[in-house]
Amino acid sequence: MPHLIANDQELHHQLLGDATSDATPCVFAHGLLVDNLSSWYFGAAPIVASSRLAVCYDLRGHGLSSHAAEGYDVGTGARDLIALLDSLGLQQVDLAGQSWGALICLRVALEHPERVRRLVLCEAPLPPSSLSEMASVISSDPQELLDMLPESLREAFSGGKRRAIKAARRLQRLLTESTLVADLKAEGDIEDERLAEISQETLLLYGDESSCRPVADRLLALLPKASLKTLPGGHYLAAERASDVGALIKEFLDG
Amino acid sequence: MTTLTTVAALIQEVIGEDWDLDDEITLESSFADDLELESIEFVALAEKMQASFGEGVDFVGWLSGKELDEIIALKVGDVVEFIDACRT
Repeated sequence: MPHLIANDQELHHQLLGDATSDATPCVFAHGLLVDNLSSWYFGAAPIVASSRLAVCYDLRGHGLSSHAAEGYDVGTGARDLIALLDSLGLQQVDLAGQSWGALICLRVALEHPERVRRLVLCEAPLPPSSLSEMASVISSDPQELLDMLPESLREAFSGGKRRAIKAARRLQRLLTESTLVADLKAEGDIEDERLAEISQETLLLYGDESSCRPVADRLLALLPKASLKTLPGGHYLAAERASDVGALIKEFLDG
Repeated sequence: MTTLTTVAALIQEVIGEDWDLDDEITLESSFADDLELESIEFVALAEKMQASFGEGVDFVGWLSGKELDEIIALKVGDVVEFIDACRT
């Protein structure tokens, strides 16, 4: 399993596509808690990887990355991502993030604009409280959180024994044995003036039934070079509408 | 070793200490219902298969043509069939 130490954290990652391609590599960041790199890896990433290197990685405490007791804030997530890029020797990349992963990508684009060519923000909840799921996270009620998942994703937490137990154990651990909930609560908004500084061409992807759909209009108005595509679906867009999301990202990055 | 025994050994490796299934892994075992493989475990399995069967078996490429629910519905026999087809 490819793991590397980045920002003192053991991060699992997977490469798809041609590592020698001249095209700018694209790095994919997933969402929190119930997500891991597989939603990109078995979704949009292979489509994008037909024309460039695609890198999927597990955020700290998620998937096959090591558990972390702290550092679930966006700032630390951005430092993890920069450390990952440094370890892989990637100078400039395209970034695509889902939900919390999108907030991490946005932060990297703001703080290290020279490292980011283009930006894809899929269901970025800004401020985080714009997302109705966030209330369930903050109440630390795993069941409430699972009830909000679309059916296709809920299967991982139901059905039998081993898989459901393992997934529930992981969720419980993140909610009760790490600073994740406190980190999320403390995460604030980004000021309009700061958002207006985003110099990269940005693709905004939102689900028409998502609770944070209004965020798209704000970002579209503030980001100087943003375009918006709305897809049928809810918040878990990268997994729910994988082929459409993949095709849109590929078109945006290749163009 | 047949393809099935190799694939079965890799599946057991991925599931690791949580392996609590009494039943043998057969061509008819489904990854979701019988083996209860998580999607992240499927990522790990794809990598192990690539390492075990070599570059000629582009398992990730094969999977990437499928939607997640198709992948979840796969049976061990589908994977064995794919690997054998690549090697002939």
